[in-house]
Amino acid sequence: MVDKDTDIIKIDAELCTGCRRCAEVCPVDAIEGKQGTPQFINVEKCVMCGQCIQICSAYASIFEEYRTSREDKLRERNMPVTLEEPIFAAYNIGDLPKVKEALTNTEAFTMVQCAPAVRVAIAEEFGMPLGSLAPGKLAAALRQLGFNRIYDTNFAADLTIMEEGSELVQRITEGGLLPMFTSCCPAWVKFVEQEYPELIPHLSSCKSPQQMAGTMFKTYGAQADGVEPDNIYSVAIMPCTCKKFESQRPEMNTDGYQNVDAVLTTRELAYLIKEAGIDFSSLPEEDFDKPLGMYSGAGHLFCATGGVMEAAIRTAYELITNEPIPNVNIQYVRGSQGVRRGVVHAGDVKVKTVVVSGLKNVVPILEEIKKGNADFHFMEVMTCPVGCVSGGGQPKVLLPKDTEIAYKNRISSTYRHDEEQTYRKSHENPEIKAIYKNFLGEPLGHKSHHLLHTEYKQRGYCK
Amino acid sequence: MSIHLNSFVLADPKKCIGCKVCEVACAVAHRSEEIKTVGNMDIPVMPKLYLVKTADVTMPIQCRHCEDAPCANICPVFAITQIDNKIIINEESCIGCKTCMIACPFGAIELAPAFKDGKPVFQSLLTFDSEEELSSKQAAVASKCDLCNDRLNGPACIEACPRQALTYVNVKKEKQRRCTETASKTGANIKNLIV
Repeated sequence: MVDKDTDIIKIDAELCTGCRRCAEVCPVDAIEGKQGTPQFINVEKCVMCGQCIQICSAYASIFEEYRTSREDKLRERNMPVTLEEPIFAAYNIGDLPKVKEALTNTEAFTMVQCAPAVRVAIAEEFGMPLGSLAPGKLAAALRQLGFNRIYDTNFAADLTIMEEGSELVQRITEGGLLPMFTSCCPAWVKFVEQEYPELIPHLSSCKSPQQMAGTMFKTYGAQADGVEPDNIYSVAIMPCTCKKFESQRPEMNTDGYQNVDAVLTTRELAYLIKEAGIDFSSLPEEDFDKPLGMYSGAGHLFCATGGVMEAAIRTAYELITNEPIPNVNIQYVRGSQGVRRGVVHAGDVKVKTVVVSGLKNVVPILEEIKKGNADFHFMEVMTCPVGCVSGGGQPKVLLPKDTEIAYKNRISSTYRHDEEQTYRKSHENPEIKAIYKNFLGEPLGHKSHHLLHTEYKQRGYCK
Repeated sequence: MSIHLNSFVLADPKKCIGCKVCEVACAVAHRSEEIKTVGNMDIPVMPKLYLVKTADVTMPIQCRHCEDAPCANICPVFAITQIDNKIIINEESCIGCKTCMIACPFGAIELAPAFKDGKPVFQSLLTFDSEEELSSKQAAVASKCDLCNDRLNGPACIEACPRQALTYVNVKKEKQRRCTETASKTGANIKNLIV
């Protein structure tokens, strides 16, 4: 059965030349078709990572005539018709109309969150060098667009570390199911659900930072602003096309409220900024709003491969030993190799970790686990080549020769931004301390379980 | 007197997969400012080589830089000339008459809308009726491969092709290479035959 919500990534048959470079990058072999003919997406297999969108270079030429006009194609994609940039065969259905409507609806109180990978890439769409770091301009742009609260997914990433780190320590010390898998990457979660349902219990029960932020907006944030949850419209700006799917999952609903109402990719936000006539490069540096916009360097690391692991280690080490970690920069989890194994010596506890980037690289490890041969405790998996900075919703690099430098620059901006922060560890973020003191109680407690954790399910498609 | 034959770029249809990266790379290389992501492309992609797909063959077609170039010979305003070892169109002088487009035996010339600094260039006098008012008409100029005349690393299409399907053909060297190859392959056999 085809789930309508999974039909987010598409290939325009009029534009596709059938070169099949998209099929080469697809981690789940969801792109089907003969060489030289238009390709199709098997929506049940597709994990919506959008890597096909990033690699596609079959564009609509002004020298050719198509049955569907450029304007109609833009409308089908939910892209502004005034957009000047070229359009390509592989694309995602956007969410701009919904967000624009919310921004003009005087009844709606709009809260926007911004994923860490967005601030290291969005400036590229306005002529700034690849990987330019622009958190202040990003916050200013969102404010000028009229969002009522400019919050941050990074805050929720810190929250994820509190919950996920505690879950890991609990599973290790109390004999829970190991290895534990990260659940931040929705494409990875969907992959486990459809290809390895027997391993679902290994996934952390934590919601992703996007969903945690959404929940907090409509509860803690609603209280802070004295707004009814009914009136809150929760928007997420993401580097990822699969986050659109994640936000619509029925499991991502708390007490009748969908945690996130609409997701825009980095590129879609750039369209919105351009359409509003905002000159991004000359925007002043502004801050995110408090309380849900304050973050630590650890939270920001979520956008790079190894980042969740590094953030988790910084906190788990201190949870286990009650001592500060000797060096917050954990180099062995960083890098671009597909699989990176390591050990954290936290007092007497040795936590064995595995970091995987690129979904294809995880298959041998999952087979290892199925055979009972896995000897590690915690595995971070990111579907995209070097984590979210290379996500399917990020600025599309025009030429293949520039992707490596784009990813390298976005990653080095990530680590630079971490080093710029006053707080480098999630549990030291004062607003995180406050939210546990005033609202949530304790990690893995009753309230956090209700709001921040979820369940994953086996999917119809199964190999 | 030695003859310097013009070089050109040739695609290998056995390697070409039709991805159009060559076209995108060409369009980017001919922008005055450096552009890295799609969001900065504020004018249409206007390549100077053209991917062609037929039932049997897929390959880009581009200018052969003919020695006795029909386009240059027929241009009524002398906008097409030989510069160094290339046939170059002076877009400033071009009047958009399309004669070169018809004269080219390969279809390697296109008439492209003119832009300057990301803005359309309009004709100075010519207007047309649109919605009961007179509108200016955008200029169109002849456009074809200039072998990336101003680019240090040579043709951008060759560099960008993910299948290495494009090669820069230095005709004299290519001829020599083929002669040497034939000599080594068949020379020995012929020698035996004669003995």
